[in-house]
Amino acid sequence: MPMEDLAQAAIEAALDGGATFADVRIENTVTAIIEMSDGVTKRSLASRLRGAGIRAFVDGAWAFGQTTDLTPDGMRDTGASLGRLAVATKSRVVERFDIDGPTFKDRVDYKVKTPFEDVSFEDKMAFTKMIDDQAKSFDTRIVNTRTIYGDLWTRMYTANSLGTSVWSETSLPRIISVSYAKDGTSRQRAFRSHGARGGYEEMEKERPQNIGAESAEMAVNLLSSEAAKGATYDVVMDPVLNGVMVHEAFGHACEADNWPAHTTVLEGLVGKSVGPEHLNLSDDPTMPGERGSFEYDAEGTKTRKRHLVKDGVLTDLLHTLETSVRLDMEPNGSARAQSFMYPPLARMSNTIMEPGDWNVDELIADTKNGMLLCSFNYGYTDPSKGQFQFQASHGYLIVKGEIGQMVRDVSLAGQILEVLAKIDAIGKDFEMDAGTCGKSGQSVPDMSGGPHARIRSVPVGGM
Amino acid sequence: MKRQLIDIAEKTVRKAEDFGADQAEVYISSSRSFSIDVENNAVKGASDKRDAGCGIRSVIGKSSGFAYVTTVLEADLIEAAEKSVKLARASIEDPDFVSLPSAQSSYPKVKGLLDPVVQELGSEDAANLIVRGVDAAQDALENHETAIEAKFSASTGLTVIVNSLGISSSAESTSTWLYVSPTIKDGEEQTSSYEFQVSRALKEIDPEWVGRSSAENALSNLGAKTVEGGDMPLILSPLAASAIIGGGFAGAINAEEVQYGRSYISDAFGEEVASGELYIVDDALLPGGVGSRPFDAEGFRAQKTEILENGVLKSLLHNSYTANKDGVENTGNASRPSYSGVPSISTSNFVVAPGKGSLEDVISEVGKGVLCRFTGDRPNMATGDLSAMIMEGSYVEKGEIQHPVKNTLVGINMRDLLRRVEMVGADTRVALAIISPSIVISSVKITSG
Repeated sequence: MPMEDLAQAAIEAALDGGATFADVRIENTVTAIIEMSDGVTKRSLASRLRGAGIRAFVDGAWAFGQTTDLTPDGMRDTGASLGRLAVATKSRVVERFDIDGPTFKDRVDYKVKTPFEDVSFEDKMAFTKMIDDQAKSFDTRIVNTRTIYGDLWTRMYTANSLGTSVWSETSLPRIISVSYAKDGTSRQRAFRSHGARGGYEEMEKERPQNIGAESAEMAVNLLSSEAAKGATYDVVMDPVLNGVMVHEAFGHACEADNWPAHTTVLEGLVGKSVGPEHLNLSDDPTMPGERGSFEYDAEGTKTRKRHLVKDGVLTDLLHTLETSVRLDMEPNGSARAQSFMYPPLARMSNTIMEPGDWNVDELIADTKNGMLLCSFNYGYTDPSKGQFQFQASHGYLIVKGEIGQMVRDVSLAGQILEVLAKIDAIGKDFEMDAGTCGKSGQSVPDMSGGPHARIRSVPVGGM
Repeated sequence: MKRQLIDIAEKTVRKAEDFGADQAEVYISSSRSFSIDVENNAVKGASDKRDAGCGIRSVIGKSSGFAYVTTVLEADLIEAAEKSVKLARASIEDPDFVSLPSAQSSYPKVKGLLDPVVQELGSEDAANLIVRGVDAAQDALENHETAIEAKFSASTGLTVIVNSLGISSSAESTSTWLYVSPTIKDGEEQTSSYEFQVSRALKEIDPEWVGRSSAENALSNLGAKTVEGGDMPLILSPLAASAIIGGGFAGAINAEEVQYGRSYISDAFGEEVASGELYIVDDALLPGGVGSRPFDAEGFRAQKTEILENGVLKSLLHNSYTANKDGVENTGNASRPSYSGVPSISTSNFVVAPGKGSLEDVISEVGKGVLCRFTGDRPNMATGDLSAMIMEGSYVEKGEIQHPVKNTLVGINMRDLLRRVEMVGADTRVALAIISPSIVISSVKITSG
């Protein structure tokens, strides 16, 4: 039976069971992961995910389930039982609302030059080995290397009871290199990755072909770094770290499911100033060729660029169909799910700070005494407290406007409502880096970035 | 169901052998999980997920390949078996690989892994339980504008592992989880906290305690201030110990990381690495433990392993590969997230032995310092450097909690942290990655501003 009819069977069964809205995502995903360490294959993994995620809704109550039984009976049974579960849940719901929104009928075929399935395991293995060897042979002080190649291809069909019927497709390759350097008792680790949206040809470009040397060089450089001294500093963030700051310190707090849940410190601030006038933050899933890009979201809504902060004012949020109804704002295609096994949530895509007008050298020279912090290890946030933390992989002291001693593992903590006001200078350069974002147990691919930018007087943790 | 899945697993092992595998291993898991969500103090939705899938590992010589599928349908299993063999052929051989684990003479009997009440729990019972937790939190917060998020889940799972060398194991288990998280407003100020319980048995979940404690935690976060930085003692509550010891130390004694020289503990193995106050075991046989099991993710029998005794590192955590490579006994710590992952290494129940005293006793003993109730940070596993934000915590002076802290970071190297454990409380609880009481570190660097 065609996917359209299978989806319709589940939707009709859910509606018959008492739901007023239902939607279905039928997914077919193929992945490959190759992990190598010191030139030896540690993990070579192939997978196929095939199944349907189904939701039924009535009067503010949701029911979610999944099935891998993609037969008319399997779809009908799951749809019907979720319809009944939504009705049973309804009696406990306090806030009643309906699901509504624009409908879309489309088919996106994502064209790539070299589909992953046209490349043999042997060729992917050889590429991974080349990167692993490249890192290992970079310097005698490199004691261990780890290289991970991954590709993911997905074809998704999304339909709902309002009439949406959308086929979408995506293709995401990634290469990660982790190098460990040792010199005497000093042991250091560096991580570099490159991700894009496209076919295998993306891995044949200059940066991914040299990612092993890039991570090895960083690990060796870190051998002569010092642990940072904890204190309050004026901090210049590089583009990659700036992206992480925007993502952690602000992006999560803009996920609109925080509004009905009352779990963001930004709740009363839509349309109000949240930062200086020169500040512009966006989340844009329409950027061509980026790892966080997609034409239609997990609810089948067409995506568009979200100007989260425009000239210092909070203007847009990240919406699902539900939040756009409940906040009476335009839907913008921000619903994402890790796979058909998870319900869609409001999420980021490619999250950036828009460039400003400072020349980067002048920005550093102007900083007098502070720190230039670069790249990232990880970060996290709690929008309901308004607190966030993120960690740079390395940085440099800025002494009298000049870059000095290298430092490592520098954590930076702050308050969502305070940090943006402290951004007083934004560079005119721009760069993004690949990431993976976690929320409620679901991971999705994303990008974040921006220009160099300076934050005045923030606490930086050290040893 | 169990017999049926074992049959499927055995057939799939033979299928992989037919495709050319010297050894094959099939891991099937089948689960049902029911969960309920609360948003803004009221039930918002429910989910009912049934998941069954299969992971296949094929070995040719010293090369391995893995494949998994999200079904247990014959056609998918054949495709996966073939792919795993193809991948093994394409892989670069690992000279240190010896063999998959061989047949086990017997498995230990571990009590309390399965609760029939959880297996038969209906959606109404689940809804009643979560509502009790939310009501308890609301009662304790009646003077504040409050928005509570909560989640309850109950799941039942069956795991089957069969390999070419005669391993054929299956185990059923249940687990339940209740989480309550209030966000509260007090004038202009907003804060939040949470509490949870996780257990194999429903009767160990106390929704009133979870709700009430989450409310008390949120109230204690109001009025957060920065503090004057410097070197001072740090009290890690069990939840903070879960991140820092359960994540940051347990990860460092993963034998694979040590063998590759990626762990800060590599240079210190066999030596006194920690204070004599710290006793740690990894105990997969703990009755009813959330990490308890009769066998690990390769079907190797589970055990209790001494990790730290008198500050001396007694053992690393091994799976079959790392144990063969080091020529030591396998500790049965192979783990997988589900059928979708390859075996790696992790703890079962990582248990810190209690010392004495409640948290209040510990605080009064410490006098002046910082209490960290929760952090999301972890150390750099290569260097051991830990630079962690105190997500929830308080400043302690005169043996009492003074006020909560904000924008406050802890800095210390893990090797120093382990040696500076000067006191261990008796307020043991089950956290996510550890079963631990509060732990006092004599001196860390505090930065705040």
